[in-house]
Amino acid sequence: MSANGDLPGELPGGCLCGAVRFVVTERPMGVVNCHCSQCRRFHGHFGAYITVPRASVRFDGDATLTWYRSSAKAQRGFCGTCGSSLFWQGDGEALVDVAAGSLDQPTGLATVRHIQVASKPDYYEITDSLEQFPESAPEPP
Amino acid sequence: MTEKTTWTGGCLCGGVRYEIGTKPSSISLCHCGQCRRQHSHVGAYTGFPRDAFRMVKEETLAWYQSSEKARRGFCSRCGSGLFWEAMGEPTLDVTAGSLDESTELRARRHIWVEFKGDWYDIGDDGLPRLTSAERLAEKQGQGGNS
Repeated sequence: MSANGDLPGELPGGCLCGAVRFVVTERPMGVVNCHCSQCRRFHGHFGAYITVPRASVRFDGDATLTWYRSSAKAQRGFCGTCGSSLFWQGDGEALVDVAAGSLDQPTGLATVRHIQVASKPDYYEITDSLEQFPESAPEPP
Repeated sequence: MTEKTTWTGGCLCGGVRYEIGTKPSSISLCHCGQCRRQHSHVGAYTGFPRDAFRMVKEETLAWYQSSEKARRGFCSRCGSGLFWEAMGEPTLDVTAGSLDESTELRARRHIWVEFKGDWYDIGDDGLPRLTSAERLAEKQGQGGNS
């Protein structure tokens, strides 16, 4: 794709059963893969997230959206009907993380980095050349 | 070194816990559209004979009928993706990420690769890549799921 001319301006998305539907109205810079143990349990493999302002996520359907307090400072959102793992929301933060796989194709996005790689499990290797952070990292530029 | 004989696992909140009494298969990384939506990236599954499986705790387990022939199990409290079960098949699949460490298992291949999301490349990891047609042909040859 050339420049940003061909990219969709908005990113629609939702869960497997379609009960949760939303539109992300602001394009993120890229996708971050999180190898922490919480993402691994939640997603069943590592997490892949975009980070956008909360105000840029507009819900068209959220009746089955369920929140789980996964730590003292954050919640994870999923669909209570189909179990799709959708959001990570830090308490009081202006940003929200949206799981990349919930976005409709094509996204026109690219993966930019790996975080929490010190927590990666033993059953896979990271074989690409993207930058890696042992723990957290600053938000993508 | 004692050889591992039991694999344990469960969800993020601990509402679902299970035990597998045999070594599960190597892990398939599934790029299909359903795994993409439910796991929100790539599905990672390992399979084993159903009679080797024991549910230790299932108070929050929920099932979603994801197709005519299969259902997906997840925790209704914390949302963790846990199981893929095809009706009438002698095997059960669990997500690799739900297994307790260390798993002593390896990712062995990619499947349903033509459906992968556009934001990542599978990369040069040396693992075989099967299209959906190749995977389905393989299953017919095996007479079951893996």
